[in-house]
Amino acid sequence: MLMSSQSLATDTAENSVLSLLYTIPTAGARRWRVAIVALTLAAVAVASASAGESDVAVGRMIAAQSLIPGRVACAACHMENGAGQPDVGIPRLAGLDARQLEEQLAYFAKGERRSAAMAPYAVALNNTQRRQVAAYFASLPVPAEPDRLASTPQQLARGRSLYADGDQHTEMQACVQCHGVTGLGVGQFSPRLAGQSAAYVADQLARWRAGDMRDPKGAFMQAEARTLSDTDIAAVAAYVAHLGQEP
Amino acid sequence: MTNRILLSVGLLAAGIVGGVVIASTTALHVSPSFPYVSTTAHQFAFKPRTDDQIPKTPFGDMVRLGENIFRDPQTYAAKYVGNDLHCTNCHLQAGRLAGASPMWAAYTAYPAYRSKNGHVNSYQERLQGCFRYSMNGKVPPLGDPVLVALESYSYFLAKGLPVGEDAPGKGFPALAKPAEPPDYKRGGEVYARACASCHAADGQGQSSANKVAFPPLWGARSYNWGAGMTNVKSAAAFIRANMPLNLGGSLSEQEAWDVALYIDSQVRPQDPRFDGDVQSTRKKYQNTPMSMYGQTVNGAVLGDPAVTPPSGTVPATAN
Repeated sequence: MLMSSQSLATDTAENSVLSLLYTIPTAGARRWRVAIVALTLAAVAVASASAGESDVAVGRMIAAQSLIPGRVACAACHMENGAGQPDVGIPRLAGLDARQLEEQLAYFAKGERRSAAMAPYAVALNNTQRRQVAAYFASLPVPAEPDRLASTPQQLARGRSLYADGDQHTEMQACVQCHGVTGLGVGQFSPRLAGQSAAYVADQLARWRAGDMRDPKGAFMQAEARTLSDTDIAAVAAYVAHLGQEP
Repeated sequence: MTNRILLSVGLLAAGIVGGVVIASTTALHVSPSFPYVSTTAHQFAFKPRTDDQIPKTPFGDMVRLGENIFRDPQTYAAKYVGNDLHCTNCHLQAGRLAGASPMWAAYTAYPAYRSKNGHVNSYQERLQGCFRYSMNGKVPPLGDPVLVALESYSYFLAKGLPVGEDAPGKGFPALAKPAEPPDYKRGGEVYARACASCHAADGQGQSSANKVAFPPLWGARSYNWGAGMTNVKSAAAFIRANMPLNLGGSLSEQEAWDVALYIDSQVRPQDPRFDGDVQSTRKKYQNTPMSMYGQTVNGAVLGDPAVTPPSGTVPATAN
């Protein structure tokens, strides 16, 4: 009981943004919903059974169709092209590392990374389906869409400085050490940040700083985030959102 | 009787309160829910000047060049670099972080006598050693712009420190002898658990967009058998204070010793002072139980030319 109330409190902001998006109104829609779920599960089962289908193709079906009664499909929030919705903090998944995406789904499912929005999806998917939907989003090209949050030149300058050099007064390690000069990340270990939603990055940093429950690798980012002020979080988030978008 | 009981209760309460006070003082530095022990070397240390204080003069230009070399020697000092390491891989925060061999403390420690070469070394001579061993490269001649720039950068960082005495935060924080002798097998387990996700299971590091992000810890692209890091005690001290990155102090002292032994028991480029015979070279230059050079691990002699990459391979080739 205590756990669930804590969980609700932590995810209030996330819920307020997402509840509008992923809750299908129930009035008069129940029969349709059952039919959609049945058809979807059948389609996925057929696709999974088909030896010739690649992970990407099956993953695309999973992403496009709702698997859970009362919840919309992955693509409703993360979009079919994987661009996410940067302005409201829904992350871009397109072009991220497939193993990373699969790993994060496993963390959501086990509760090792806490998210009221993502947990039901992660639990509903089996290991194979997680791999498939991860393969689909990873296969998509990174959309060249600028982040919609406004940022000031001062913010970008401070963000660049934190990203490249860290902060010797707080002993914050430079982001570049793990995420690379161009923000493309390193393999399965550190995600690509270039062009990610500034609102999402800022929200994640605030969660790490607050000691929110994270995946086992979160210890690195918790240590990092604990050195950051709100102003610096906004600055570094704005900077990484702009990485790779300079002419 | 009642008074005595009250006194005892009072003392007990005072003890509890005292304990709480001590605990909350500790919590100023360390979140109790977090497996992180801040090392004292990182606190109270000298804070060097920041980049925005680099003067806009020819001297400032040399400082900037020095910092660029420090961060990216494969680009800015290519002809002297023979592997994929950056100065910043060990001298963290671009040579600014106390307890990670900061350059400001190194600068004020020279000139100094070094048993490694048996004479008083200037700062530039000390830098030459980095290129020869840690960077597995070629030695820049004294007065070469690369050395002048690195010296300028160090001088810039050290401004304000007294010379002729060791600055607090110099080198790595001293590490006590381990409770049990360092163990290769235990070290391998620590490596797999705490190091491999960044440095890779095979120790060859990982790249981001073809730029090395996590340095190789052994193999042909890492430091050679003459580098200070091949001393297990030095490596253990560095690891204990600074690794995993951002989580310094999270490994126990024993774990740091074990994993340092594991890393320093792998194949790496030859000692540039190699005289043709491993045992003779060991006796001349590495005659310490802290060096694994010449010792037999997994049936092979470390440093055996048959399985050891050459020293001084320049320029570095992208991996």
